[in-house]
Amino acid sequence: MSTWQYLLRACMVYKWPLIVDAVLGVSMVAVLPTLAALTQRSIFDSLTGQSTSGFGVWGLVGILAGLGLADGLQQAVRFVAYSYGAFNVRALFQRNIFAHIMNMPGHQPLPHSSGEAVNRFRDDTQFIHDYLGDITDLLGNVILAVAGVVIMAMISVSLTFTTFVPLAVVLVVAFYVRGAVSRLREKSRETTGEVTGLVGEAFNLVEAIQVAGAEDRVRRRIDELSEARMRAAIRESVLLDFLRGIGFNIHVLAMGFVLIAAGQAMRTGEFTVGDLSLFVFFLSNVGAVGVGFGEVMNGYQRLNVSIERMRELMPGAPPEDLVRPSRSFLYKELPETRQTAMKDGEELERMDVRELTFVHPDSGRGVRDISFCVKRGTFTVVTGRIGSGKTTLIRALLGSLPRQSGEIRWNDQTVVDPDRFLVPPRVAYTSQSPRLFSEELRSNILLGLKEERVDLPSAVHSAVLEPDIAALENGLDTVVGPRGVKLSGGQQRRSAAARMFVRDPELFVFDDLSSGLDVETERLLWERLFEGADRTALVISHRRAALRRADHILVLKDGVVDAEGKIDDLLESSEEMRRLWRGEVDAQEGESA
Amino acid sequence: MPAASTDSKDEVSLRQYADLLLRYAVRQKRLFFIAGILLLGNIGLQLANPQILRYFIDEATQGSPLSRLLTAAGLFIVIALVQQVVSVLATYASGRLGWTATNTLRSDLAGHALHLDMSFHNEHTPGEMIERIDGDANQLGQFFSSLVVHMLESTLLLVGILALLFREDWRAGLALSVFSGIVLAVLLSMRNIAVGRYRRTQEAVANAFGFIEERVAGREDVRTNAAQSYALQGFHWHIRNWFRKYMATMVMFTLFFSITRFSFAMGAVVGFGVGVYLFLNDLATIGTVYLILHYTYMVAEPIERFNWQLNNLQRAAGSIVRITELSNTRSKVVDGPGVQFSRGALGVRFDGVTFAYTPEEPVLRDVSFDLRPGRVLGLIGRTGSGKTTISRLLFRLYDPGSGRIVLDGEDIRGARLREARARIALVTQDVRLFRGTVRDNLTFYDAETPDERLREVIYDLGLEPWLRELPNGLDSELQSDSGGLSAGEAQLLAFARAFLKDPGVVVLDEATSRLDRGTEQLIERTMDKLVEGRTAIIIAHHLPTLARCDELLMLDNGRVLESGGRLELANDPSSRFHALLQTGLEEILT
Repeated sequence: MSTWQYLLRACMVYKWPLIVDAVLGVSMVAVLPTLAALTQRSIFDSLTGQSTSGFGVWGLVGILAGLGLADGLQQAVRFVAYSYGAFNVRALFQRNIFAHIMNMPGHQPLPHSSGEAVNRFRDDTQFIHDYLGDITDLLGNVILAVAGVVIMAMISVSLTFTTFVPLAVVLVVAFYVRGAVSRLREKSRETTGEVTGLVGEAFNLVEAIQVAGAEDRVRRRIDELSEARMRAAIRESVLLDFLRGIGFNIHVLAMGFVLIAAGQAMRTGEFTVGDLSLFVFFLSNVGAVGVGFGEVMNGYQRLNVSIERMRELMPGAPPEDLVRPSRSFLYKELPETRQTAMKDGEELERMDVRELTFVHPDSGRGVRDISFCVKRGTFTVVTGRIGSGKTTLIRALLGSLPRQSGEIRWNDQTVVDPDRFLVPPRVAYTSQSPRLFSEELRSNILLGLKEERVDLPSAVHSAVLEPDIAALENGLDTVVGPRGVKLSGGQQRRSAAARMFVRDPELFVFDDLSSGLDVETERLLWERLFEGADRTALVISHRRAALRRADHILVLKDGVVDAEGKIDDLLESSEEMRRLWRGEVDAQEGESA
Repeated sequence: MPAASTDSKDEVSLRQYADLLLRYAVRQKRLFFIAGILLLGNIGLQLANPQILRYFIDEATQGSPLSRLLTAAGLFIVIALVQQVVSVLATYASGRLGWTATNTLRSDLAGHALHLDMSFHNEHTPGEMIERIDGDANQLGQFFSSLVVHMLESTLLLVGILALLFREDWRAGLALSVFSGIVLAVLLSMRNIAVGRYRRTQEAVANAFGFIEERVAGREDVRTNAAQSYALQGFHWHIRNWFRKYMATMVMFTLFFSITRFSFAMGAVVGFGVGVYLFLNDLATIGTVYLILHYTYMVAEPIERFNWQLNNLQRAAGSIVRITELSNTRSKVVDGPGVQFSRGALGVRFDGVTFAYTPEEPVLRDVSFDLRPGRVLGLIGRTGSGKTTISRLLFRLYDPGSGRIVLDGEDIRGARLREARARIALVTQDVRLFRGTVRDNLTFYDAETPDERLREVIYDLGLEPWLRELPNGLDSELQSDSGGLSAGEAQLLAFARAFLKDPGVVVLDEATSRLDRGTEQLIERTMDKLVEGRTAIIIAHHLPTLARCDELLMLDNGRVLESGGRLELANDPSSRFHALLQTGLEEILT
């Protein structure tokens, strides 16, 4: 898809306000000014006696005033239409990107930090918003230029022709520097992104920065990046200003040419002062066409860059998804949150994993040929040293990472797309570092579920969160701050656990839930997990409490299953298990792991 | 006109503008001077050309020799070309002026905000901070580069035009002066109306992007909880909120622009009126009529630009309000006069410390303990019992409500923050890495740390194979959010940070809870080394980690439940610690 097509498709979704904007814009830029210029010429010619009109000089001045009033009114309508249309087009892009990111496989990395992503949401969509205005103006200016050329040619063909020379020069220059504008633009966007990205990360990490006493060093780093950005931005603006200056001065140059060529005709009266004023008027606007044209052309390069940067936020999506018509909800009721219900026959009986393989393309690390089975009502523990592939296994299983081979079966039904299937209410998962959002604790747990349709108190109970909530200022209605910072690490984890419980899934998957929990709380948590009838869980853990409880243990080593079974058997048969159990891995062996 | 609805908070006094200008723009004297010269040149050239046109028209209509006309036309062209060059130079100078000011401002804001205590940061999302420190600073950058240079230019140009019109005929000068005065008065009186609305729009924008940033960063959680529809609902709410504020602002701006445009059209009418009157009364030549008209049109440009700058000024006013708010936020935690801490291990003492994040809800109540230099304290207690808060207070991320914290015999409030923090290291379970090189991640951009020292620490932690696998060694880029590293490796990097600091006190907050036993064992020795010769506070839930503690402190709901020597407590059957050891989890008996 070409950049124009993206723009066109997006505009078609909101065509009416944009058409109103275009029609009134053309009228404002082309029609009214042309009428004003003709009136002005008549005034001069009436004064010098070279022609007379039926209105008289003062009548003509009155007409000028009327045209001015019409112009002001049109401007008002047009600007509102433009604001409405351009906002909607911008929001369409934002909506589609956001929806895509939310629906992307969870751990598929975005190519950039979230701060940088926000930068694209903000600036690149802003550029589209502004660009739409430029296009309308250019359209009006082109029409004005055509009208101007026709009218000037009716006065003098040769003089009109003289003015084309400088205009051609502008267009040629604008054409040749397009590449440079695009490069400078890219550089300037890139350096801006780096500043924004660092600022975003700095405030994500502010506690760590303060602890490290690195506030001033981070500030200096921001300064360095800002410096680079300044250089890029100035280069860009000087070039753009140069082009704009050429566009503006070109009409002055063209006028110079007209003066040289018209001197003789004016002396003889063939070319009147009124004619000159008309030429001056049109030429200054021919200049505007040059400027507008150059701006739209250069802007197009910037648009290319912006579209490309937005596309990068949608890895794997077909191009047209960026501008797919989607509902806006600017006036309608907000969309309901969806709550998927279990279908018959989806109750977990057993889940089979066969020869699952995922290897990180960069590092070559990962998991290979892992097979196991999780039966209803059982507790399966995955254990192993750091880097043995435990988390990778779970992510590949759940589809967060794209497995390279292997089969997953849910009740003998092949799961084609685990990323979409192995989610609540079938499977709930909590990663090592779950994220909370700056909302009330209640919303953080429910995440859109209807409170009256779920059992929130029992989820809170199961997650051993009750005492904490009782201690919080506003209980469940406490706003937890950005990323949940107002809660302790353990509270955050257990809030994430409550998220799982409230979804009442068939299978619980925890990645090392117990870290950060004290002994007593951990014991309660496991106890309450299995209070529920027929609860099934698959957890990563190296804690004895979990290992002892396990119906089945997978011991991972270097990405493959080293041993499996119950703890007593494993302690007998597996050297690796014994080491993990006793924690007797000596440093040398540990290093090679 | 809803002028009455403007609330006083949106008003930005001239003084505030002037202060900012003085502080950030005028300070660059040389650049300011050069920009000024270029500006004056530009104005002179712009004013000169219509005079030539007038000369040309009068000479041509009077039938003067062609050579004179050609000379005038040639001069006209030369001036146009020179003006082009001057204008580009002026852009460069004003761009530099503006960007330098923006960067200085951003730097000041970032430095200020980074130093604010955590109670501020808990209330503001990183997305919001981006909007403040980047968005608003840029907005003000425009304000500086456009306002200082262009507004001055517009004013001078306007004055120049009016002066030249007076020179032609007092009536022409007067008519256009009165007209310009009226237009300016109208615009000025409307100045602050849109600011309030604009500020509310910007707030909506900041909230929307704060929301988006959090959801993008937390998309795995959204996804695995099947909460996409919920995230989208929130997104739509924010966009709608933004849209409503935006349209309200735009309607105001529309009014503003329409009035301006209409005024200009009337300006041309006034110009023509005067010209026609003078001509019909034989007070002006046709060339002069043309000149008056041309200058009348030229009046529009500085006023329009002035108006546009006012528009920027209004936007900037919103930014100024927010930025002033931010820079007036004082950190609740401030530097003391300074303390010279001893080298080596430092003693730590809490004297009746009480602390609450929010009033009425103390997290710590009257906590006291005395940890002599080189001793190791184990902190235990349920999550939420206040353990982490103790470490935060020690780092002075917050200050206690009452009581005091004594480091090396000195109240830590007497020390500079940097002094105290430089002597304490923290390793938490939640390791935060950022996009940047391995070196930057370890040193937080401290270029002073020699590479050998970094390598030594990395090797000590058994990360040598990992480092060797990296494409560019210490210069390899890491992703944010520990992307590309296992949790354990990230944890080890956090230890590396602590080693590099060579602190007198070490705080380990669940530092090994993410490590499997094998790896935990692997860094036991390193941990011993980190603790050796230092005072240490270890927050842990399982016992092997606590084994190296000399003393224990058990917290419950912010109170000290029990404290004493580890071995004494373990051997005292009446102690809670003893009871805890008996809870049946063999793990803690190891």
